[in-house]
Amino acid sequence: MNQTELIQWAEGWFQQQEWQAFPFQKKTWKAFLQGKHGLLNAPTGSGKTYALWVPIVLNYIKKNPEYATKKPKGLKAIWITPLRALSVEIKQAAQRFADEMGTGLTVGIRTGDTSQAERAKQKRQMPDLLITTPESLMLLLASKGYDKMFKTLTAVVVDEWHELLGSKRGVQMELALSRLKTISTDLRIWGISATIGNLEEAQQVLFGMDDPIQKQSVLIRARHKKKVRVHSMIPKEMETFPWRGHIGLHLLEDLVKIIEKSKTTIIFTNTRGQCEIWFQKLLEKHPELAGEIAMHHGSISKETRLWVEQAIRNESLKAVVATSSLDLGVDFAPVETIVQIGGPKGIAKFLQRAGRSNHRPGETSVIHFLPTHALELVEASALKRAVKENVMEARTPFLLSFDVLIQYLVTLAVSDGFIPDEIFKEVKNTFCYQGITEEQWQWCLNFITLGSQSLKAYDEYKRVEVKAGLFKVESRRIAMMHRLSIGTIVSDAMMMVKYVTGGFIGTIEEWFIGKMKPGDSFVFAGRTLELVRLRQMVAQVRRSSKRTSKVVSFMGGRLPLSSQMSKILREELQNEVEALRTRELKAMDPIFERQQWESVVPRAHEFLIETFATREGYHALFYPFEGRKVHEAMSNLLAYRMSLLSPISFSLAYNDYGFELLSDQEIDIQSLLDNDLLTTQDALSDLAKGVNSSELARRKFRDVAVISGLVFQGYPNKIIKTKHLQSNSQLLFDVFRDYEPDNLLYQQAYTEMYEHELEVGRLQKVLERIATQDILWKQCDKPTPFSFPIITDRLRSKLTSEKLSDRIKKMKLQFDK
Amino acid sequence: MTENVQIANQNFVLHPSGAALWKEKSTLLIADVHLGKIAHFRKNGLAVPPHIADTNFERLNTVISQLQPKSIYFLGDLFHSYLNAEWFVFEEWVQQTPCDMILVQGNHDIIADHKFEALGIPVKEELEEGPFCFTHHPEDIESAFNICGHIHPAVRMRGGGGQAATLSCFFISENQLILPAFGIFTGKHRLTPTKEDRVYAIVENEVVCVSNTR
Repeated sequence: MNQTELIQWAEGWFQQQEWQAFPFQKKTWKAFLQGKHGLLNAPTGSGKTYALWVPIVLNYIKKNPEYATKKPKGLKAIWITPLRALSVEIKQAAQRFADEMGTGLTVGIRTGDTSQAERAKQKRQMPDLLITTPESLMLLLASKGYDKMFKTLTAVVVDEWHELLGSKRGVQMELALSRLKTISTDLRIWGISATIGNLEEAQQVLFGMDDPIQKQSVLIRARHKKKVRVHSMIPKEMETFPWRGHIGLHLLEDLVKIIEKSKTTIIFTNTRGQCEIWFQKLLEKHPELAGEIAMHHGSISKETRLWVEQAIRNESLKAVVATSSLDLGVDFAPVETIVQIGGPKGIAKFLQRAGRSNHRPGETSVIHFLPTHALELVEASALKRAVKENVMEARTPFLLSFDVLIQYLVTLAVSDGFIPDEIFKEVKNTFCYQGITEEQWQWCLNFITLGSQSLKAYDEYKRVEVKAGLFKVESRRIAMMHRLSIGTIVSDAMMMVKYVTGGFIGTIEEWFIGKMKPGDSFVFAGRTLELVRLRQMVAQVRRSSKRTSKVVSFMGGRLPLSSQMSKILREELQNEVEALRTRELKAMDPIFERQQWESVVPRAHEFLIETFATREGYHALFYPFEGRKVHEAMSNLLAYRMSLLSPISFSLAYNDYGFELLSDQEIDIQSLLDNDLLTTQDALSDLAKGVNSSELARRKFRDVAVISGLVFQGYPNKIIKTKHLQSNSQLLFDVFRDYEPDNLLYQQAYTEMYEHELEVGRLQKVLERIATQDILWKQCDKPTPFSFPIITDRLRSKLTSEKLSDRIKKMKLQFDK
Repeated sequence: MTENVQIANQNFVLHPSGAALWKEKSTLLIADVHLGKIAHFRKNGLAVPPHIADTNFERLNTVISQLQPKSIYFLGDLFHSYLNAEWFVFEEWVQQTPCDMILVQGNHDIIADHKFEALGIPVKEELEEGPFCFTHHPEDIESAFNICGHIHPAVRMRGGGGQAATLSCFFISENQLILPAFGIFTGKHRLTPTKEDRVYAIVENEVVCVSNTR
């Protein structure tokens, strides 16, 4: 069959289903059959699976005209999905087409959830289409004879590429593709991405710096415009609505009304902790909802999650409280209503969530926004505008992630070994490592073979060994440790939670359980549980009828406001002043009045600084409205510059609206202004000095240390002996800082901090903007409404120019209560 | 930079390295050096910088030259794990060091006793001398004052304006002294003292009493 016939044939199948192929699907089929690579820009639920699976099958038929009688063995295509939960859906769709077209092609899934037996079966004979995650793909590269396994590959499809792009999983994908390009000789690379601000760049990252591939590639956009309506839930009594907090329970009754009115509602929260609390409170206040509502987040056991997902499809649930675990993929036709609790911080995320309802093209999606504190209503107002104006954020790809490269090199060494010259060419061709120098490459090779940059007497370092130019891992123990550590998502040590009688409930972070004693009770997975004992990495529990306020908490999960969002947010605040006001802003009148009374609501040309004293110390607050990351950088910068004037210690806090410097001494704002400490001059070098050894670099280093294999974590469900090998990245960080500051991995922590956390590019712009504004310094009597959410934040970092011994003299020992 | 304390009518010098000198006996007490930890990590493919291993010996030499003890009691976890190359460095160091040494065994000390004994270092489960009982793990002993290690004790300090610090310390309670970990690349464990405890924190190169000064 020729190309036109093949496409007609596929269209015929679509007609049988009473569907019509969308133009973007046909365009993709054609491009694929012409041998092109591409990036497909299409939202979830638009038929993107068939856009790429159909041409893979057609291409197979074209190449194997006798497919009905003679089926060649081996892998034909790999479908990468960032979330395991999505794989089942994709498999069903793919299998259906393959079967009904009579191709005999098989579809298999290989993820962390796949059983050992199934994996072994796949190793013997791969399915024709393998649906997998970036981590599982890497694990395949760590197995012997992987080149034969991938030789027959004709396509790699990277689904939800936008999700991977701005993370190290994306880098992992780049590296895997660089290898596959060499070993699979007839390969097409395709990505599928939702709309983001930097689609062209996304395309470049996916294809790498290969000219031939770039030239042979296309960008196809699906023209689906989804209508989204944002409805903010406004508290009736604004006066009593809290100024701070991140739970928002005040609006519980309003939420229940929304649940009652609709067939199925998904309630999105920002963190797993928030999710647990809401679920608990809903049941407590409305016991009649028992059995009608459920919870879904990443730490709950897979069985429960799958059950919940099925229950949504069956329409047997009224509501599900969820986290980003339900953001992607899975098509839930029956979902009528979406509620977002707390600011989603990004437009793309918000739209993705909004898109979970009424998955039929053309219909309007409604999303209810439930603010958790008063100021968040400005955010709601800003979101509405962003949606209307179609503003989209970019995802910044990582550059020169040496940790991921080192992990990858050891992966190759674990399987068949590698020859550096061959791999260097491939690596240098990726977007991430296009700038790698020969010296840096040699550094990485030394790191995996010598464990340092120079030989030392008595050293017994052992990881990768070099034999006749081949870099290979010989030790089985090291190979096993490496396989267990493959991946780039670093989380705290996790513990399994199980009933004493057996029965897995989920996993929680070790530090949370570490604070508890047997007999204590806590709420997890919507149940009140009593800790009976800890056994290895398992917390054994039983049901408890005690009432407890201790809800499982999880680290992380705070999302910063994107720069696009913060710009709109600032403009929205101006609307307050200029009376171009939305419903949300009107509702906030009491807050603005109070702010105006205690301090002032700054106008566009004004930059507000507030100072006041409380029992905690002296507070200075600054309001750039630029988002958390930039505020973290600015607070470090200002604290550093002030600390040069005289010895002083600061504790820093920040949120999306502003930041605070807190000290035990009075903070001299006048000298801050007189000395022009808000200048852009030397901002970057001052910042570098300010954040030297900051908490943030430590946090970044933790991921780097785990990914590169400097720290071995083991795994909760695969207990292997790690006796005497436990350390933590904090100790290592200090060791590198004091003894080996030029270590590339140590330095990478700082680079990542600047580029991905502090967003220094934005910092410069903010300082330039402030330079054009009038500074308003308000000496207030007490905390203002704007300051309240910031000063009550307990997650703080420190900066000091006092000698440790001087600081200690002013401190008090913490006694047993 | 050191602090003098009296325990059970005997005099001790607390050194910022984490070692303590029992003056009457000219005996240096050192807990949790964890020698060979770095070598052990490296042998298993974890690339901790190799040269920091020397720092432990440099620190030992410094404290010995400053306090000039006649003997040294290691209160456990002298070696982190199985025998590795760092043992040879240790052998050399023992030969060059003019002190009598005793090892009170800790949970990490899994190297055979005869290896130590061959170097002239007796290995004991516990050691009683004068009013004291030296152990690795903290023990509740009625008849003697317990001096031990194992915990790697630290305390939390808080100040105005959100200031806080966690510091390694000598932790003295009614009937016990817990020494801080001497070794580099060892962690610390936070203890919460009661009003009766005496706490001497290590603040850079200084030992500072941070509990109620009496």
